[in-house]
Amino acid sequence: MAAPLSSRRLMKELNDIQAKGTPEGIVLLSADSMEEWVFLISVLGEETIYRGETFALRLKFGPRYPIEVPEVTFLANEQYQPPLHPHVYSNGHICASILGNEWSPVLNAVAICITMQSMLASNKKKVRPEGNDRYVRTAPTNPKLTRWHYDDDTV
Amino acid sequence: MDMSSHPLLSALDEPAPFPSQYPQLRRLDRSMVCQICKEPFTGPVTISCGHSFCSACIRSSLEVMKKCPSCNETVTEGSIRRNRALEEMVDAWEESRPTLIDLAQPPRKRPAPPETSHSKASLSSGVKRARLSPTGSANASGSASGSRSGSPTKSRRANDVVVEEIDENEDDVLELTENDEAPCPLCQATMPISSIPLHIEKGCPPPKAKPKSNGVLGKGNQKADWKKVFSGQGLGGKTKEVEMKRITKPNYALSSPADLRAILSEYSLPTTGDKPTLQSRLQEWIILFNSNLDTSHPSSLSALRAKLAESESSKRRDKEKGKDEVVNQLASKDGLAKYASVKKSEFERLRREIIERDKRRKDAEEGKGDGKENAIEVE
Repeated sequence: MAAPLSSRRLMKELNDIQAKGTPEGIVLLSADSMEEWVFLISVLGEETIYRGETFALRLKFGPRYPIEVPEVTFLANEQYQPPLHPHVYSNGHICASILGNEWSPVLNAVAICITMQSMLASNKKKVRPEGNDRYVRTAPTNPKLTRWHYDDDTV
Repeated sequence: MDMSSHPLLSALDEPAPFPSQYPQLRRLDRSMVCQICKEPFTGPVTISCGHSFCSACIRSSLEVMKKCPSCNETVTEGSIRRNRALEEMVDAWEESRPTLIDLAQPPRKRPAPPETSHSKASLSSGVKRARLSPTGSANASGSASGSRSGSPTKSRRANDVVVEEIDENEDDVLELTENDEAPCPLCQATMPISSIPLHIEKGCPPPKAKPKSNGVLGKGNQKADWKKVFSGQGLGGKTKEVEMKRITKPNYALSSPADLRAILSEYSLPTTGDKPTLQSRLQEWIILFNSNLDTSHPSSLSALRAKLAESESSKRRDKEKGKDEVVNQLASKDGLAKYASVKKSEFERLRREIIERDKRRKDAEEGKGDGKENAIEVE
């Protein structure tokens, strides 16, 4: 039985990570299955407001990956907290166009991590998004079910 | 984490890469790969911006968004063109790759490991790599209709259009007369060469003497045809046989489940399920079927049907797995406690609402039987 397209593609990505490693500040924490991977992300450089902090980014892949975007959230549990960022809700949901209408199947898991890393790196103020509490109270478990509106491209 | 022996990678049949001292060969190797599936192109096509992908990959991607995955330019499915030169290049590259890998090894006697890893790669290499093996084993599995000729080169040629058929006639190797039999370039049914033009003209009806494997579906098609007649569409197709012609996508918003079922039964596919199920099945089938027309190594219809069934069942498994996870989590004590702590405020709110509602109802229905209340108390 042939493995589904998504698994083959993810195996190639894993192979690539194994051969070439991940970019600095990004570490593959776990990839126990072809459904869910967790990366650790830290922001490099002296001037970042997230110095010394490490965040866990969880990617959930569906059977239609890479045609469809994976489900990406920052982990919010005892060990890891989502970063304080105007586009990251306290439940770990992320408002980023690359995870919505700007996803492209030529991208991959590491590309998502790099985007998140640079999104954090360019941030200057540690705040939650407007309406965080209201959103978190009503948000679906899967952030892909939220209708996002991408308007701020400064961070 | 330790990546040196990842359990998930044991199943990967990736062929060995070129040694790092040959960056140009590595680049060439990469250039033969579709950027969506990261595998060597299968049925490569080019879209209006000039980027190339596997036919099935770009068709699935355009289903989700009408943009080029590489450059974001707006593209439509209509701009997809088969890229025969690229296909030939990929085929030739796949064929010569093992040789080049061997040549790229340093001349001095190499220790065993790279040698075995290579031979393992070429033996167990994936679907795409295997199809070019000179033994033709992959080829044989693809020709379920049983009407294909044996040698890989010949069958590949035979699938090409009429123009190239003439080339082959000019070839000195194969001297054919009018009475010789040859496979039809479109449907692969074997027949005398002289009757091929008329046969194509008629839209590839099956030869009378040899009923095809899918001849059984005559009845289903008839049913579909009648449905078409009744819905005022007319018969459209000239024959009852599956036409090897691109399927035009129906307007899903305007189609009734019966319309979708009619199209599905035309290709003898399952017609069970509600409209979303039918729609996703048909969408996937159209991608499989249309992209199969963009390659010189087409799969048989039954192989395509098997692929469709496989992807449908893997999707179903995925759905049910998610459900199982939640259920399993709730089954363990820790998981339940965690879930409870996460949802505590919501529970509280719902509890209050239910208590209040109960109270109101009690006030209103004072004096009536108690049985009902027990049913409502779900705390």
